[in-house]
Amino acid sequence: MSVPALRIRGLRKAFPKVVAVDGVDLEVARGEVFGLLGPNGAGKTTTLEIIEGLTTADAGEIEILGLTWEKAGQEIRSRIGVQLQSTSLFNKITPREALDLYGSYYPKCRTSKDLLQLVQLEDKADAYHITLSGGQQQRLALALALVNDPELVFLDEPTTGLDPQARRSLWDVVRRMKGEGRTVVLTTHYMDEAEALCDRLSIMDHGQVIATGTPASLIADLELPSVVELTFEGAAPDPAAFAARLGQAVEPRADLWELPTPDPKALLPRLLEAAEAAAVPFQQVHIRRATLEDVFLHRTGRSLRE
Amino acid sequence: MLLWRQFVMEWRLYSRDRVAMFWTFAFPVVLLLGFGTIFRDGGGPKLSVVRVQSPVPTPRDAALDQALKDLHLQVQSLPKDEAEARWSRGETAAQLEPEGEGYRLRLNSYLMAQAGATAGLVNQAWLVAQARLSGAPEPQRIPAQVESPGHKRSTNYASFLLPGLLGLNLVSMGLFSVGMVNVSYREKGKFRRLAVTPLPKWIFLLGQVLHRLTVTVVQAAILLLVGRLVFGIQNQGSFLDLLLIMTLGTGCFMAFGFALSGFAETSEGYAAISNLVFFPLMMLSGVYFTLDAAPAWLQRAVAVMPLAPFIRTLRAVFNDGAGLAGHGLGLLIVLAWALAAFALAVRRFRWA
Repeated sequence: MSVPALRIRGLRKAFPKVVAVDGVDLEVARGEVFGLLGPNGAGKTTTLEIIEGLTTADAGEIEILGLTWEKAGQEIRSRIGVQLQSTSLFNKITPREALDLYGSYYPKCRTSKDLLQLVQLEDKADAYHITLSGGQQQRLALALALVNDPELVFLDEPTTGLDPQARRSLWDVVRRMKGEGRTVVLTTHYMDEAEALCDRLSIMDHGQVIATGTPASLIADLELPSVVELTFEGAAPDPAAFAARLGQAVEPRADLWELPTPDPKALLPRLLEAAEAAAVPFQQVHIRRATLEDVFLHRTGRSLRE
Repeated sequence: MLLWRQFVMEWRLYSRDRVAMFWTFAFPVVLLLGFGTIFRDGGGPKLSVVRVQSPVPTPRDAALDQALKDLHLQVQSLPKDEAEARWSRGETAAQLEPEGEGYRLRLNSYLMAQAGATAGLVNQAWLVAQARLSGAPEPQRIPAQVESPGHKRSTNYASFLLPGLLGLNLVSMGLFSVGMVNVSYREKGKFRRLAVTPLPKWIFLLGQVLHRLTVTVVQAAILLLVGRLVFGIQNQGSFLDLLLIMTLGTGCFMAFGFALSGFAETSEGYAAISNLVFFPLMMLSGVYFTLDAAPAWLQRAVAVMPLAPFIRTLRAVFNDGAGLAGHGLGLLIVLAWALAAFALAVRRFRWA
């Protein structure tokens, strides 16, 4: 297992109006679940589509399972599995037919029965694709990505647009892929998804990787690994005056203030005293561990959802 | 094996779109029924002339009217104002009006083909009428007969129409339907998922061509059956030859459609490109008018275009019962275009 599942050096892709990917390096080990986390337009999908052979790069080197597109395109195609951001199939094909048909394109394939069971679509096996719900279509797309028993699977925003329950069930499928020894590379703009699924991840912004590591190490690298939150009923007031008085950064959110701190235990008594004195009308106090959201905020000054 | 699966799946998905399938098969039949009914009795479109009535009919008028009738021209006799109104509506091809001691013909510039032929007949009638009035011997007319290049003298116009319909339907299906469907599927991203599989493009394309080929054969069979049951039109040649020609033609024009679809980014773009190819192909095919007056270089170029040899061979087999022996070069031209177009289609095809 000396050859990494994926190795990328200096990847670059410019479109007429924007540089979508601007010098990306990545290395993914075998058996890893690796995430590309970033807001919409960060270049995640373009990066993935270049790796999958759908788009050509302007510059950079890509090695997939030790192979390159120039020399071994067909072998790469038969050893990777791909879920596109939106998988558009023919309206009147059924999941069973789609899995059988796509399976027939590969030298090695899994049975549609197994795959339908894996993604819990047995009861919709013979329904037309157009009649499936968004979550069911995503699950079918996931099954299609596994049809050739791939060593390396690419998932582009697998849970975007799904309800919480459908997201959880997709997460289970991803964990099962890892359990079967596959390498998974996924993109997401949900930091909870990245934290829940990924062994390691890269945070992307404006076409560049701004940080790489395990979720825990990325958070620990923040000098302020805890956040104290004051919640308000209704909109949060302007914290500028209060922050100056307290001598501590206070970041306003919709209905709360966030105070990142290395030492919540020391901050808390001072905070409560100052709030009392300034008659800040807060409702509750929470202390939470910093998340990947805070990492992104700290590195870019912007929220993931902005 | 892979090709067979692809072909079967194409048919299965196609058969689920009932409405599209119904019209694909019904449309040529509707055309045949329509034209066949309009021209049911005998030899194609009739010539007619609008005759403006003289204020005071003379013996000369009577002689001319009789001569027009003898020459089987349809005469519509109308008072001046009604004839003028009809002329203004653009419904009249040729109008015969009294003027001074004689007559004058007005020919509609929008309907020159019919108007020109009518003018010839009216002039003949006038010569006959003048001879009769003066008591001179009646001028002799040279007998004419309608005959196909294969020496068949069928009086059933619909039987000449049917191969034309078969051919036209096939060309329009190839150039318009198939190519357009291809571009719109690509626009909607329906092929993107295939791009990341090892499926070779040529198998995908050939599967589609084979599917369309079989659709056309079914279509042709229905058309032949309706033609036979309703109009008594019979295929004069061998059905095997007919199948061979249809297969070659379908392959050629489907491949044309696929090749063109590789040059268009959007459906709108495709509509423009396909018309750009379709109209010269039709106009310069020699199917509708001869190109004797065209410059020599154009005639040479047109001679190697695929539509003319295809329609000519189709008509020769269907109407004249000819074998394929005399049409080897024509079929070779169609085959060459089919292979070239398919190669270009594979080269230009993009999944996304």
